[in-house]
Amino acid sequence: MDVEIIFKIAAIGLLTAVVGQILKQTGKEEISTFATLAGLVIVLVMVLNLIGDLFSTLKTIFNF
Amino acid sequence: MDIILKIVSIGLITCLATLVIRPLRNDFAIFIGIAGGMIIIFLVINYFTGVLSSFKDIISYTGLNSNLYTLLLKIIGIGYLLEFTAGICNETGNNSLGDKVLLGGKLVIMVMAMPIITNILTIIMGLLPK
Repeated sequence: MDVEIIFKIAAIGLLTAVVGQILKQTGKEEISTFATLAGLVIVLVMVLNLIGDLFSTLKTIFNF
Repeated sequence: MDIILKIVSIGLITCLATLVIRPLRNDFAIFIGIAGGMIIIFLVINYFTGVLSSFKDIISYTGLNSNLYTLLLKIIGIGYLLEFTAGICNETGNNSLGDKVLLGGKLVIMVMAMPIITNILTIIMGLLPK
């Protein structure tokens, strides 16, 4: 549980924004869409892992 | 004092990161916010277990039924979960969804607390003169 996950998400966001812009400039609209989608899914999985960890921890603490 | 420094710095870092990312990609800013909140909660969640164990000691001194304590614990846990989920819902712009999550959780808490309320009522009824 470190701060680096924040930086990771921010970096992935920056990277997908830049890659999407470049691909859009070169006229590859559909690849740009897929690149953006891939970045979104990666970040989504990271955040979902965090949420799942939190829920399981709460479950053990409050003995549901 | 170490932990408070950590919490403050993580909050500030999360704020600045969302500020940088928001004009580029709005959806990633929300994810950064969620991740920052998670990290802060994971930092302080160990204190919570300590508080709960001391609560358990206090309950054992009073000689109350331990079922009541577990029920109370569950209700507190539901409250925290609801607060967190509703916060995420509100942050993504779904204010009405957050309200519905809160409403559903309140109803569940009410149903869980109903046995205690009926218990108290029956005790009061027993105390009343016939």
